Amino acid sequence: MARTTTKDAQALIQSFRSAYAATPTNLKIIDIYVIFAISTALIQVVYMAIVGSFPFNSFLSGVLSCVGTAVLAVCLRIQVNKENKEFKDLPPERAFADFVLSNLVLHLVIMNFLG
Amino acid sequence: MVKFLIFMTLVSLLPLLSSCFSSENPTDRRILVLLDDFAIKSSHSIFFKTLQTRGFELDFKLADDPKLTLQRYGNYLYDGLILFSPMIERFGGSLDLAAVLDFVDAGHDLIVAADASASDLIRDVATECGVEFDEDPAAVVIDHTSYAISETEGDHTLIASDNLIQSDVILGSKTVEAPVLFQGVGHTLNPANSLVLKVLSASPSAYSANPKSKLSAPPSLTGSAISLVSVVQARNNARILISGSLAFFSNRLFRSGVQKSGSSVKFEKSGNEQFVTEISKWVFHERGHLKAVNVRHHKVGETDEPAIYRINDDLEYSVEIYEWSGTSWEPYTADDVQVQFYMMSPYVLKNLSTDLKGRYFTSFKVPDVYGVFQFKVEYQRLGYTSLSLSKQIPVRPFRHDEYERFITTAFPYYGASFSTMAGFFIFTIVYLYNK
Repeated sequence: MARTTTKDAQALIQSFRSAYAATPTNLKIIDIYVIFAISTALIQVVYMAIVGSFPFNSFLSGVLSCVGTAVLAVCLRIQVNKENKEFKDLPPERAFADFVLSNLVLHLVIMNFLG
Repeated sequence: MVKFLIFMTLVSLLPLLSSCFSSENPTDRRILVLLDDFAIKSSHSIFFKTLQTRGFELDFKLADDPKLTLQRYGNYLYDGLILFSPMIERFGGSLDLAAVLDFVDAGHDLIVAADASASDLIRDVATECGVEFDEDPAAVVIDHTSYAISETEGDHTLIASDNLIQSDVILGSKTVEAPVLFQGVGHTLNPANSLVLKVLSASPSAYSANPKSKLSAPPSLTGSAISLVSVVQARNNARILISGSLAFFSNRLFRSGVQKSGSSVKFEKSGNEQFVTEISKWVFHERGHLKAVNVRHHKVGETDEPAIYRINDDLEYSVEIYEWSGTSWEPYTADDVQVQFYMMSPYVLKNLSTDLKGRYFTSFKVPDVYGVFQFKVEYQRLGYTSLSLSKQIPVRPFRHDEYERFITTAFPYYGASFSTMAGFFIFTIVYLYNK
């Protein structure tokens, strides 16, 4: 039973890799950015678990800046992906402009809440 | 004009007439002595004389005098009461058990002497004060190993005791060398009562029984549980002395020599006079009376008292404690006075250090908890009046601008936020200029 499960997992990873190779470059760039943001958030959560939540507002603003910018990047990826029928009529420049402005507002809020 | 001047001078001297018991002068002045008959006045003359030479005004009255009254128009006429009337069934005048208890509740002192076959009234007074006499009215304290040797073979009711309480405050700094003679009834104290003390207790071989009849059952009061002389210090600092023997204060026992059975030492004079003199000094507040004044607290480096402290402040607390020496207030020296910084439980408990002139002080850091605290000094020592001071003070947390500007533990969060912003900037460049 175990042999077939590992074999299934390997087959799954192989098919994912081959499918992912076909995605366009700009989407891959967005994916890298999302991974970077989420990993920064995880590092902060682990640090808080060790040290304790003393300046809780700083912790929240740090985690929220990472998670918020990751969420906005995911929205950008959805809107820019050509295979998405829903956003067929949305120009990708408009999506990118939304992304930039939202991130500006997010980072303004973060700077104020950081303490 | 002259008449007016004379009148004004006399009126301005009026306050000097009231040289009575006050908080500035705690020793009693006027004492009412109630006697069964005036023969007691002469048979106990040494005791009364020592009181009068110490400055007390004694007012001798018969206990059933119909004009007896302790207070008039709400003011007490006396500062202390001595009941040397063990046989009295009913007091005269307006005096009764309730009036005596009100007198003590008002903070005044009392000496009660019972004797063999004491009346119910005197027993009730003692019971209300926390002391229970033997129920059998004919019982006296008998001790077959600790009696006083006399020429006639007595019934061992005159006992010589040296089981005295160890307290310099109550019995004076000079130890009583000779045993103390006692002839009368014994009483017991409730062990749950923390205000009453045995000053003179019986030896372990004493018991309370009728000397003239044969014992049919074991006596109910035996051994060291029997107290011969007790004192009570009430919570309002009134002091009561209860003695089971009126002869204890008499000239006969003051002057007589004493030899305890089983010991070959014969003393020329019993210890009664010294014992009674010293303990009467304690009962009438000539010794062991403390007052605490001038409670002050302030932040280290400042002098005025703030209305509120902040957590982690450094503060200093000081109080002045004086002891009444009989004529003046002397500085009290001890090393065990403690102050508590209290909110539901003491967060800080510190010993106060003294400068030997009566000032006690210490400094400590306000704990890291905010709320409404009290500075509490609770001082209760054997024989001294109890001190109970408390001063309320609030403690606030940090204001938002009293924290450090950049908190070290938060540096990773600062770093993460800025790195996200930098990452976002680089991402936009790479995304836009990617072919």
